[in-house]
Amino acid sequence: MKKVLSVIIALPAVMFIMTGLRWLVDPATAAAQFGMPLLDGIGLSTQIGDLAAFFIAGGMFVFIALITSKRSWYYPPIMLVGFTALFRVLAWLLHDATLAVQMIVPEIVIAVLLLAASRIIPEHE
Amino acid sequence: MTLATIQGSSWPRLLLLAIVMPLLASSLPAQAASMSTSLFTESSERPNIVLILADDLGFTDLASYGSEISTPNLSTLAKNGLSFTNYHTAASCAPTRAMLLTGVNNHRAGVPNIPEMIPPQQRRHAHYQGTLGRNVVTVATLLQDNGYHTYMAGKWHLGMTPDLLPSRRGFEQTIALADSGADNWEQKPYLPIYEKANWFADGEETTLPEDFYSSRFLVDKAIEFIDSNHADDKPFFTYLPFQAVHMPVQAPQTFIDHYMGVYEAGPQALRAQRHANAIALGIVPASSPMVTMATTDDWQAMSAEKKRYEAKRMAVYAAMVEAMDYHIGRLIEYLKETDQYKKTIFIFASDNGSEASGLANQNTSLNQRVLRAQNYNADYTTLGLKGSFNAISPSFASASASPLAYYKFYVGEGGMRVPLIIAGDSIPLKNELSNAFSFVTDITPTILALTQTAKPAERYGGRKVEAIIGRNLLPLLNGHTKRVYAEQDSVGYELGGHAALFQGDFKISLNRAPLGNNEWRLYNIVTDPGESKDLSSMMPARLQNMLGLYHQFTIDNKVLPVAANYYAQRQVALNGLQQRFGSQILLMILTVLVVLPFYLVYRLSHK
Repeated sequence: MKKVLSVIIALPAVMFIMTGLRWLVDPATAAAQFGMPLLDGIGLSTQIGDLAAFFIAGGMFVFIALITSKRSWYYPPIMLVGFTALFRVLAWLLHDATLAVQMIVPEIVIAVLLLAASRIIPEHE
Repeated sequence: MTLATIQGSSWPRLLLLAIVMPLLASSLPAQAASMSTSLFTESSERPNIVLILADDLGFTDLASYGSEISTPNLSTLAKNGLSFTNYHTAASCAPTRAMLLTGVNNHRAGVPNIPEMIPPQQRRHAHYQGTLGRNVVTVATLLQDNGYHTYMAGKWHLGMTPDLLPSRRGFEQTIALADSGADNWEQKPYLPIYEKANWFADGEETTLPEDFYSSRFLVDKAIEFIDSNHADDKPFFTYLPFQAVHMPVQAPQTFIDHYMGVYEAGPQALRAQRHANAIALGIVPASSPMVTMATTDDWQAMSAEKKRYEAKRMAVYAAMVEAMDYHIGRLIEYLKETDQYKKTIFIFASDNGSEASGLANQNTSLNQRVLRAQNYNADYTTLGLKGSFNAISPSFASASASPLAYYKFYVGEGGMRVPLIIAGDSIPLKNELSNAFSFVTDITPTILALTQTAKPAERYGGRKVEAIIGRNLLPLLNGHTKRVYAEQDSVGYELGGHAALFQGDFKISLNRAPLGNNEWRLYNIVTDPGESKDLSSMMPARLQNMLGLYHQFTIDNKVLPVAANYYAQRQVALNGLQQRFGSQILLMILTVLVVLPFYLVYRLSHK
């Protein structure tokens, strides 16, 4: 059970790292995937810097959690993904953004999986 | 500007102006330069110029050069001017276009090869990008600065970024295909190395109409551009580089029907027939021999079904040539109807010799599967129509190049010698042939002379520019001379390790694999345009002298060597893979590199 869950949460972690690296390697494609234009100047710097850091750090947190088996390492990626889903809903409610259901649903699923993993996998508090 | 501002904070700008203005002034065209060789010295009216470029059209693909293909409009032009039988171009398209539009050697203009074929070790050098450098001025810029409207409709292939498109290189209105080629029926790439067919209108990405057929569409756009400014008095320069007859070879059914059954005697018979026709027309000397190309398949050994299929491949090719001619005829008709024909000079040429990259066996099940992945098929019944991918076989390409040897991408005459027609009511010579050696770099200086436009000085538009090396062909058009290159003048050429040098009636050439043997040969291309007899052992001193000139050419033009194992078609595949999938491959490698340490630590800590 623990092994299966480890593999299940490792997959989105790999995807996170790949997405973060895509922002560094091919930002135009990465931007298109997220439905945004590629900016220039400071905007481009923020796009690449913030988004690459977000995804790479998110993926690495999961790996560190799996390696150390410490529950506390699960919380950062849960917060990153969970807050992203929550703030997308707020963006829709407050700022007329599109309700990106196709992105919110996977984010909630991943957050729930990580939460479950944090209860089942860790051997140390 | 007030005295106060002059005396105040603006003085550094004035100082800068004082430095810059003389430089700018020296670089502006001397528009009133005298043109003693111009056809128009007695008239203040400057001619319109229509520069038409066919793509991959072979030496004898026009009726006036010995073809069975019906090209009545180009024949009419040939009767109204001078046809060149010893005109040479580059052996591939982008280098030709760079020289055609600038009069500068392609290596100096930044286009030593098509970008798709440049290996990474050469691409590190600034002049090996395969895009038109900023150190050259196009004929369009020079004409625009001299009061011409400048239009372009067709294939560009000299750069795809906004600053490299024709709208930034002197063309006022444009519709341009940035790639090496594309489908003729829809906006679709013809090779998997391209993600899409990149068409641009006035520098912006554009989409093609539903009823697109390349030759018709490009002529429609050319007419639209010309018509948009017809009311004013300014002359125009229209550059019309067709997609025809580059692969995929496609044509409307009505034109295909004209050639069904015409090619059933096979490519050897056609090559022989065109050779005979070319001799009869005076295109090549009566005694000129012809070799049999190694790529020629044995027609008699083929099955009836295979013969039928191959004959139709060639029929579609002929139809595509005829369709191009038909639409050129529409442009001519428009110019006549609007009273612009008499003051228009037409220049027609091909960008290189015939293309022999088509598969010998095009409709195998394996190739059909590959084509299906690109939404193409090669079925007999729909060959040449929308959704069909077609190219002539290497055997028929040798007929298209008849009676010459080799093809596009090689420096044999079949790759470099192509038709050139310069025609117009104001051209003194009518229905004449010229056997004078001429080169693609000669077109720009000839257009400049025809339009009374000065060549660019050492600096133009504020920057240092390369000097034009081509010759003005007007003395030939006027009938004042029989040659514009003296016996001792030489013209060098290099393409991916293939090498050639022309001097007088002679040419040395080195063709690499797979068709060449990497050895220098010497030919008299006037008496033996088919390059049947290597004279290197009979004339060793001439060979050595020409080799020395070629060596100097490579130094003067910064020609870079290619690796011994360089193979152009393989490089296209590698570059295409890198361009289309390079970032994905890099992404996968980086992901593995990042994830792997975590995995190893995980394995160690969970033993």
